[in-house]
Amino acid sequence: MGKLSKLGKVYLAAVFFILYAPIFYLIFYSFNSGGTMSSFDGFTLEHYAAVFNDTRLIIILMNTVIVALLSSLIATAIGVLGAIGIVFLRNRKMRNAMLSLNNILIVSPDVIIGASFLILFTMIGVKLGFASVLISHIAFSIPIVVIMVLPKLQEMSSNLIDAAADLGASKRDILTRVIIPYIKPGIFAGFFLALTYSLDDFAVTFFVTGNGFSTLSVEIYSMARAGITLTINALSALIFVVTLGLVVGYYFFNQRARTVGTGGQ
Amino acid sequence: MKSIIQTSVAILVVCALLFYGVSALEKSSATSGGGSITIYNWGEYIDPELITQFEEETNINVVYETFDSNEAMMTKIEQGGTSYDVAMPSEYAIEKMKENDLLIPIDQEKIPNLKNIDPYFLDLPFDPGNEYSIPYFWGTVGIAFNPTLLEGQTFESWDDLWDPSLEQEVIIVDGAREVIGMGLNSLGYSLNSRDASELREATDKLKTLGPNIKAVIGDEIVEMMRREEAAVALTWSGQAADMMFVNENIDFSVPEEGSNLWFDNMVIPKTSSNVDGAHAFINFMLDAEAAAQNTEYVGYSTPNQAAVALMDPEVTGDERFYPPEELRERLEVYENLGLEMLGIYNELFLEFKMDMEN
Repeated sequence: MGKLSKLGKVYLAAVFFILYAPIFYLIFYSFNSGGTMSSFDGFTLEHYAAVFNDTRLIIILMNTVIVALLSSLIATAIGVLGAIGIVFLRNRKMRNAMLSLNNILIVSPDVIIGASFLILFTMIGVKLGFASVLISHIAFSIPIVVIMVLPKLQEMSSNLIDAAADLGASKRDILTRVIIPYIKPGIFAGFFLALTYSLDDFAVTFFVTGNGFSTLSVEIYSMARAGITLTINALSALIFVVTLGLVVGYYFFNQRARTVGTGGQ
Repeated sequence: MKSIIQTSVAILVVCALLFYGVSALEKSSATSGGGSITIYNWGEYIDPELITQFEEETNINVVYETFDSNEAMMTKIEQGGTSYDVAMPSEYAIEKMKENDLLIPIDQEKIPNLKNIDPYFLDLPFDPGNEYSIPYFWGTVGIAFNPTLLEGQTFESWDDLWDPSLEQEVIIVDGAREVIGMGLNSLGYSLNSRDASELREATDKLKTLGPNIKAVIGDEIVEMMRREEAAVALTWSGQAADMMFVNENIDFSVPEEGSNLWFDNMVIPKTSSNVDGAHAFINFMLDAEAAAQNTEYVGYSTPNQAAVALMDPEVTGDERFYPPEELRERLEVYENLGLEMLGIYNELFLEFKMDMEN
């Protein structure tokens, strides 16, 4: 990469500032003893104490993480197999039809997906709660995973598979030792994208939560009428720090893997 | 392949640990026996300590869920799949829920604390005889204003909003009933008017307010007033209380021509699986001490006169939030005007908004 010009650096700094300013603004006020976001009265950690004292909030947070991790894991498994299936479809028309069906799910509004899930679940008698949220999150994550994995599959030369077959690899070997290692970056990208989609989804989740099961986005949204408390600021700050930690950890993990050698199959 | 399997196993282990954590936490907060009830309320609209207290007193475990609009709440209840035992809709939502057969009648014999409620707030047009609902909090529509940003204007009359010195200073709430109702009230008509010429007159008068209006918005009003980005707002008393809690400069006034009287009420939805528990909860919330504590936490006006007697007279004597008799008589509850009439209100409101943009 060439050196950035001075103007380029200033531009880059400005963009990052604009992107991160709201988050830091929010974190800054999480230490406010004044109780609101309008004036900073003094430093306090009481909002952080309030987060840990609020059992309901902690349960909701944990549920949110469980749903996000599980749903993106399952969606990744299904989505990867789906993408492989689509790419190896012989019939071109069929393949395009499949892709279009997949894309329609991505562009259709969340509200419609949520409402139709609600109608479906109540019709077949599924109680709203953990299962309904998990199923709907898996459903809207699958197309995202497919879209992330497809380009990797398409850029893979079919010679690789032919060569593997010529050398006597079974179908299973081709899948686990040729295709999946090749598309691994796509799989991880799909997983992380699904994870973020699941974590911050409000529209779909709102419709399918119930019986005491709720996620963080639904909970925060319903506070809008009476005002959001600084406890939420404190919680957001904690989540931000944990995310930052994960990203840094992932970076160092990758660095180490790269210096060790092939990057570990 | 190995790294993918490792990652998957790691994720599953984390999930299992979190699952264990959740069930441990739920067990520690749950009380045994007595069953459980699910409360469906607006966010931040109850003192959480009262829930704990209720659980300790009755051994009924409370599951607490929140919603952000009447419409969303009704959709969830109508579709079923959940078992909400107590919900807190606004009065117009109650009429709709009654029409759609979504409510269970309340057995008043199981609610002895009903005697604590001021009779003024009982037997209202949206629910005659309180067959289905018990008032939870109430309020008015009025004018919130910030005297430090103004030059001594006061708001005893709706007509004060038309003062030419307020150019680009007034924000109004984005609600057809509220705004058209304000226009009707300012002319001395009922805010439930079905008279086409009265409505026409009100809309034409509202259009002349155009130059003074800075914005027509929703919940953001509170934040804008707190930050002193606007000096005057047409809003609900509850929102005004939220503003004043943060910015002490703000004042609130209910104009003398009269205004709207609104309610949030406790109801038992059709989905209830523990009707006795629901009654017990409603009765508990009507207890004088519990209601007083809840009112202090939420900051809205309580219909509970026994609670009012227990509270700080400085709060309950505040005529802005507990209006005196003679003003009360000029407050009206929104009547259900029917779909057709509501359409006309919405159309006129739209006409007013379109006119403003020119």
